[in-house]
Amino acid sequence: MSVKYVPVQWNPNKWLYDAIMLAAVAAFLWVFLYLAPQHDPAISAQIHNARAFGACAFMMLTVILCIGPLARLDRRFLPLLYNRRHFGVMTALVALTHAGYIVNWYFAFSSTNKYVGLLGANTSIGQVAGFPFELLGLFALVCLLILAATSHDFWLKFLTPPVWKRLHYLIYAAYFAVVGHVALGILQDQRDHTVTALFLGGAAVVVALHLGAWWSERKDTADASGAWAKVAPTAAFREGYARIARLPNGDRVAVFLMEGQLSAISNACAHQNGPLGEGKIIDCLVTCPWHGFQYDVRSGRSPAPFTEKVPTYRLRITDGVVEVHTDANPPGTYVDPLPLPKQEVVA
Amino acid sequence: MPVAEFIVTAAQAWLWVGAAVAVVFLTFGMDRIDEDARGAYVFRPLLVPGVLLIWPLVLWRWWQIEAQAAPWAARYRPVRASYGVAVIAMSVGIILIVALGLNARQSWPADTAPVQLSAGTDG
Repeated sequence: MSVKYVPVQWNPNKWLYDAIMLAAVAAFLWVFLYLAPQHDPAISAQIHNARAFGACAFMMLTVILCIGPLARLDRRFLPLLYNRRHFGVMTALVALTHAGYIVNWYFAFSSTNKYVGLLGANTSIGQVAGFPFELLGLFALVCLLILAATSHDFWLKFLTPPVWKRLHYLIYAAYFAVVGHVALGILQDQRDHTVTALFLGGAAVVVALHLGAWWSERKDTADASGAWAKVAPTAAFREGYARIARLPNGDRVAVFLMEGQLSAISNACAHQNGPLGEGKIIDCLVTCPWHGFQYDVRSGRSPAPFTEKVPTYRLRITDGVVEVHTDANPPGTYVDPLPLPKQEVVA
Repeated sequence: MPVAEFIVTAAQAWLWVGAAVAVVFLTFGMDRIDEDARGAYVFRPLLVPGVLLIWPLVLWRWWQIEAQAAPWAARYRPVRASYGVAVIAMSVGIILIVALGLNARQSWPADTAPVQLSAGTDG
């Protein structure tokens, strides 16, 4: 299966998503710049703009970090997840604008290179009060730029999903750095407590949602005795669909019921790790809901002439419960389907 | 300042090397390793910033693909197993740094009445 790369993939849903996001960004900036009460009349327009874009970037990053755990805790939030990459790129651009205003105001009117000035003006890294919080912001900005610059589909395929996802774990380091940037920076001089409340509330929600999602995933891990992990009772399977099990090592396995027989493959599509277990079997093939890649669930192979393969797993039934062997077979290994007792099949 | 100047110079050198890697990779390398990229050129300028920033990773993956050096299972290894570590580290870090920031916060001078520290002189 082959999909030629295009600069940006858009469809009507993505247009709508992006339009709402851009409108929200414009509204936030407009309210901050023109409607919010001005608590510090001494600051210049340049600084006011910098604060508006900085606050906007913080709120955008907070929303982005809430989407993932919300979608894991409640599937109704999944539509917010699908175009999160555009949201991330926009956040990096807003943060870059904030940095531009700062560098071109505080460090521009001197014979010293403004970037040298940014890095060298304050080196009091050994103290909390007066800590060079700009460095935390700079670190976060570099992280956001890396994430935005590697958001194209090409990077996911080229780096492989595990490497790409590990790289994108930088988002957590970036958010910590942004919170530190605000806490040791503007918060030290903040007299508008609406902004303080938004900042503390946003950070608290992100922490609570991620800890909640992590705890929820820990509870969902399949019980394993030795090399076999429990998937579900035989009565829980539905013809043409899968039950997804999370193994103790973190792997996800999709166990499909096809024509009264069970087969198990990796839940991660070979293309971009899309969730195969959320696809439906049609003509012996499961179709990945993300990009339409198809696999025979007995062998984990795409139909000829395509060559994609995913790992398969062995199954057994013990005391009415379907169990999967925790060791994956090499991608494309055929495994005989396991017949399900007739009376258990739900049409 | 010497440290700051060194960092800025190193960053510039990093970007120049990245530019050289981008030229070679985007005009020659990616056609060798990704069939989906053959004949597709419009999207390539979008990849330039990424190559500039993470060019060592690009060279490493390029070599891995050319040499077929990556084990098959690596592509399917779940990342979410380390999600807990990342989330706990971020959460603890956020709580600590917010507490430090609030603790270090000082009252704005305008909020307190001025206090004369020395007797001064009359007239």
